Amino acid sequence: MGYFLDTLIDSSMPMCVTALVTMAITLIFKTSFTTNFAQGVISAFGAYVASTLFAKMGMPVFVAVPISVIASMTIAVLVDVVLFRKGRYVNAIGKQIITMGLISVIVSVIPLIFTDLSYQAINFISGNFTFYVGDYNVTFSKNALVGIIITVIVLVLLFVLLRYSKWGLSVRATASNEYVAGMMGVNTHVVTAVSWGIAGALGALAACLNSAGNAEIGVYFMTEYQVTAFLAGIVGGFATFHGPVIIALCIPLMTNLISWFGNGVISSITGDMQLGASIANWSTTIIYVIALIIIFFKPNGLFGKKVEKKV
Amino acid sequence: MKKNLLNKYSLFAQDTFVQPQSKMIGIKKAASNPILHYIIFGVIIMVVLYMAVQLKVLPYSWYGGIIYTAAYSISSIGFCLLMGYSGLASLGTGGFIGIGCYAVYYVTALSGLPFIVSVIAAIVIAAVIGVIVGFISLRIESIYLVILTLGLSEILRNIYMSLSDSINIGTIKIFGSALKTADVMYVIIPVLIIIMIITHNIIVSPTGRAMLAMKNSTAAAQAMGISLLKYRLMAFIICTIYAAISGSMLILRSGAATASSGTSFYALITSLNILAAVIIGGYKSIWGAVFGTFVMYGLNSTILQSIPFFTENPALITIISGVLVIVVVMFYPGGLAQLLQNLKFTFAKWKKKIREDKYGKDIG
Repeated sequence: MGYFLDTLIDSSMPMCVTALVTMAITLIFKTSFTTNFAQGVISAFGAYVASTLFAKMGMPVFVAVPISVIASMTIAVLVDVVLFRKGRYVNAIGKQIITMGLISVIVSVIPLIFTDLSYQAINFISGNFTFYVGDYNVTFSKNALVGIIITVIVLVLLFVLLRYSKWGLSVRATASNEYVAGMMGVNTHVVTAVSWGIAGALGALAACLNSAGNAEIGVYFMTEYQVTAFLAGIVGGFATFHGPVIIALCIPLMTNLISWFGNGVISSITGDMQLGASIANWSTTIIYVIALIIIFFKPNGLFGKKVEKKV
Repeated sequence: MKKNLLNKYSLFAQDTFVQPQSKMIGIKKAASNPILHYIIFGVIIMVVLYMAVQLKVLPYSWYGGIIYTAAYSISSIGFCLLMGYSGLASLGTGGFIGIGCYAVYYVTALSGLPFIVSVIAAIVIAAVIGVIVGFISLRIESIYLVILTLGLSEILRNIYMSLSDSINIGTIKIFGSALKTADVMYVIIPVLIIIMIITHNIIVSPTGRAMLAMKNSTAAAQAMGISLLKYRLMAFIICTIYAAISGSMLILRSGAATASSGTSFYALITSLNILAAVIIGGYKSIWGAVFGTFVMYGLNSTILQSIPFFTENPALITIISGVLVIVVVMFYPGGLAQLLQNLKFTFAKWKKKIREDKYGKDIG
């Protein structure tokens, strides 16, 4: 029981990070009709800004994180305004490839700006809550608690805005048809730029949460979450906002639960530690295979709607 | 009709069917045969590179650059066929390359069977995976398919990590002799040339035209009696087989690879780089794919590293390749192949203008 609780607590931070990244990817997908492959490195840039301000200049964390959010936001808005809008023949695949080109640019620019790459990452509050369940010592880091609170506030705020505000309405209009939305008086350029800005901000926030309390950050350390977010988007269905986010919450949880099932349950039943550990090793693969099977039978995603296509 | 088709497919078919009116026309016709171009290109690359390095005109690092370009080009050409001719996109290239690497490791390095057997094993496994992806592509399209293949690639990478994280093939004997690092060239470049010729024949054959029809409109293609199942499966099978062959060539050159490292052959970055290479070069041209691959993989170790400015600032190399990708996509969607064609037209226009100035308009 204690080990199970520990697994749940361990999954909380990856769940928050994946949910935030997935929200960013979904926003961009719905307004720009493309997948942003540079999301991971834009987020990493934010994490570098935050840890420079925090560890090198000694700023308080609640100043460093907002500045990093603004930095990532600026980059993301510039991508939309400068690269996407000015391109003469840019289509969906073209936009994807532009974001790929951005990866190599940003990855090389980061070491030029932040000369020392082995930074100490930011830390919201140090320390852990510890309690005993039976004999098992469960630890819950305070950073994770802060992360959960921030994620819940941000996501709830975004969903409320999307559902009830005028901006949310224009985002939904642009998502359903950019051209018609433009004719109806929605300034689609502004909607897209703002969505990119929010996506950049969410990315930086996710990177800060992911790095909080960890020893090191790297240029590619958000790529794994980005790939999971794409998968979550497809499995949940990009047609809605809540679908991808729900799946994004499920994927890290399920991965850790499979590890728990292998290490905790199978090992204790069969007494074979090796078997349990090998099941735990394959947890990511199992999740991916399940996701592929779901997509094969539900191509529009679990929460998606079928779009009728006319010839 | 039959004569024309045969001319297109076979190397010297012109001579058997059409008697050349004069010797010059015959030579001209043979010289304009694209298949001959590929062969000449390969031979020239091998001879010139060998001579130049032996005479110390070029540094030894050129070998690495050219060999890696040739090995990666094989998967780029497959991707070119998939994207430019079938209208399907995939980000699974990295994972498919791993099939070739691990086939060489398990079949040749561990079991001691000949190298060719491991390549055949890689081709068989790749074909099976190609069939799976092809079936998936019938249900899912465009960006969804891209992400799905990305997921598949991650699955393959996880499998590689669980099988054996780092592999080292040691020395491999081909035709009874152990190869030195530079001699790998004499295996990889001929394979590339064969692949180029096969791909050219696929493109000009009815299969290529069916794929093109499918790319332009699936509904219209189906109405013309083209089976989506058959050609999508075929496109994916060819693409994965090429990637697997490319993987076995890559491992032959590098000797070792680590699956868990972010810059290994099977990482996401390889798939992205191959896609970028095809876009830079022009996604409907075999030459473009090879040239784009050179820009992504060969330019650094050959030309840029001999310029002192770039050896002092190595970060600029990646920045430039990134900016190049962005600029090409923004302003030249047809890639450098299209740029070359535009230049050709401009040149022809100038030529015409000069002739008109010289001899008057009528002759033009």
